[in-house]
Amino acid sequence: MSKRIEADDVSAWFGAFKAVEGVSLTIEPKQVTALIGPSGCGKSTFIRTLNRMHEVTPGARMEGSVTLDDEDIYGPGVDATTVRRTIGMVFQRPNPFPTMSIRDNVAAGLRLNGVRKRATLDEVVERSLRGAGLWDEVKDRLGKAGAGLSGGQQQRLCIARAIAVEPEVLLMDEPCSALDPVSTLIIEDLISELKDRYTVVIVTHNMQQAARVSDVTAFFNLAGAGEPGRLVEVGDTPTIFTKPQDERTEAYITGRFG
Amino acid sequence: MVETRKQFHEELDELNADVVHLGALAAEAIHAGTDALLNADLGAVEQVVAADRVLDELTHSIEERTYLLMARQQPMAIDLRTLVSILRVIHEIERTGDLMVNVAKATRRLYPNPLEPRVRGLLDRMREQAAVQLGAAIDAFADRDPAKAASLPDMDDVMDDLQKDLFRAIFATHSTDEATIQRAVQVALVGRYFERMADHAVNVAERVAFMVTGQFRHEEPQAG
Repeated sequence: MSKRIEADDVSAWFGAFKAVEGVSLTIEPKQVTALIGPSGCGKSTFIRTLNRMHEVTPGARMEGSVTLDDEDIYGPGVDATTVRRTIGMVFQRPNPFPTMSIRDNVAAGLRLNGVRKRATLDEVVERSLRGAGLWDEVKDRLGKAGAGLSGGQQQRLCIARAIAVEPEVLLMDEPCSALDPVSTLIIEDLISELKDRYTVVIVTHNMQQAARVSDVTAFFNLAGAGEPGRLVEVGDTPTIFTKPQDERTEAYITGRFG
Repeated sequence: MVETRKQFHEELDELNADVVHLGALAAEAIHAGTDALLNADLGAVEQVVAADRVLDELTHSIEERTYLLMARQQPMAIDLRTLVSILRVIHEIERTGDLMVNVAKATRRLYPNPLEPRVRGLLDRMREQAAVQLGAAIDAFADRDPAKAASLPDMDDVMDDLQKDLFRAIFATHSTDEATIQRAVQVALVGRYFERMADHAVNVAERVAFMVTGQFRHEEPQAG
């Protein structure tokens, strides 16, 4: 259920602009890896190369290789949609399908995959909502619109939707930045549970959040405006936040620049 | 690139300066307390006791502000290590102040009998050694200088030798009358206080090394 991602010398462009340069990073299964760094450092772009979301943007391209347990996700004949199912993603703003019920939101991915049996769908809906820590709050109103939930609940609904299709990896791009503090802490607790089953990668602007939830932290930085983002330092989270090796990491996490 | 936590780092700088000030107060106490003892000056004893209250108040103020910064700023890396080290360092300095109060109070117990010349000379040297070690430790803290901090254990050997010399001087009196023995015990305790002060300076230096390098002493590569 949980696989290793290896990014090797990944660079990414938007048209002529190089956003990410030469990132090599191994992301271990059953761990939470946090990507931190200032705005524009390429961390969100990089995470989108890990499930082929980057190429969805017109004019965007990448170089380098990304493998999932040694399987090249950019290999010939590999279907991008299949990759995105295997490597799920949760975005900054909760984006449930607005006209769909809570149940249908969670079941949407399965239905796309051709699952029609009601009992199977109900089972997966319950399991996914439980996995996202939302079941008790919504079990009596599964037929109501997902858009009627609070922001924090909507984000957990999106997590339920992502895990319903049983991915190997969950990518989270600033999953709490639009949420209130209590919802944020609920999602953080959830992330700690999710890592038992999935490889979790989280992009966050909140360093304390990275310190709280992750096992490994990778610091991205850019040398200046218009320069591509690079990976500066990666290490186990306690080390990064107590005695980072690179002075640029130190300067960033202590707020001496940002 | 812009400095993003200016207010926090200004407050951190103030704390660092106050720790150095605390060290200066303790150094003053070492000299004032020892002078009170060597000169059998009971009035000076009261001044040393009063000065220690100032030292205690500054210690508590630094401690409270450190907790506040931790709670409000969630410090990381060197900032986190600095604040944790400050909490340890001020405790060591505050203990030095307390020990000097003990030294000063011994003046009352020894009064009015003068100290033996040899004992007197040794206590004066122990005072100098304690002050030198505290000064070196505080300098290492102020300058973030792990090399200076590393010199403290060797300096401490000097203090240990002085303590042994003091004990020998005490035993050399060969007296068996109770009053002399009581005075000898007081002098031995004073020697012990100086030796403890020097140990506190070594502890400060250890914390400085951790603060700068992020490594605890047992993690450091062994020389040779």
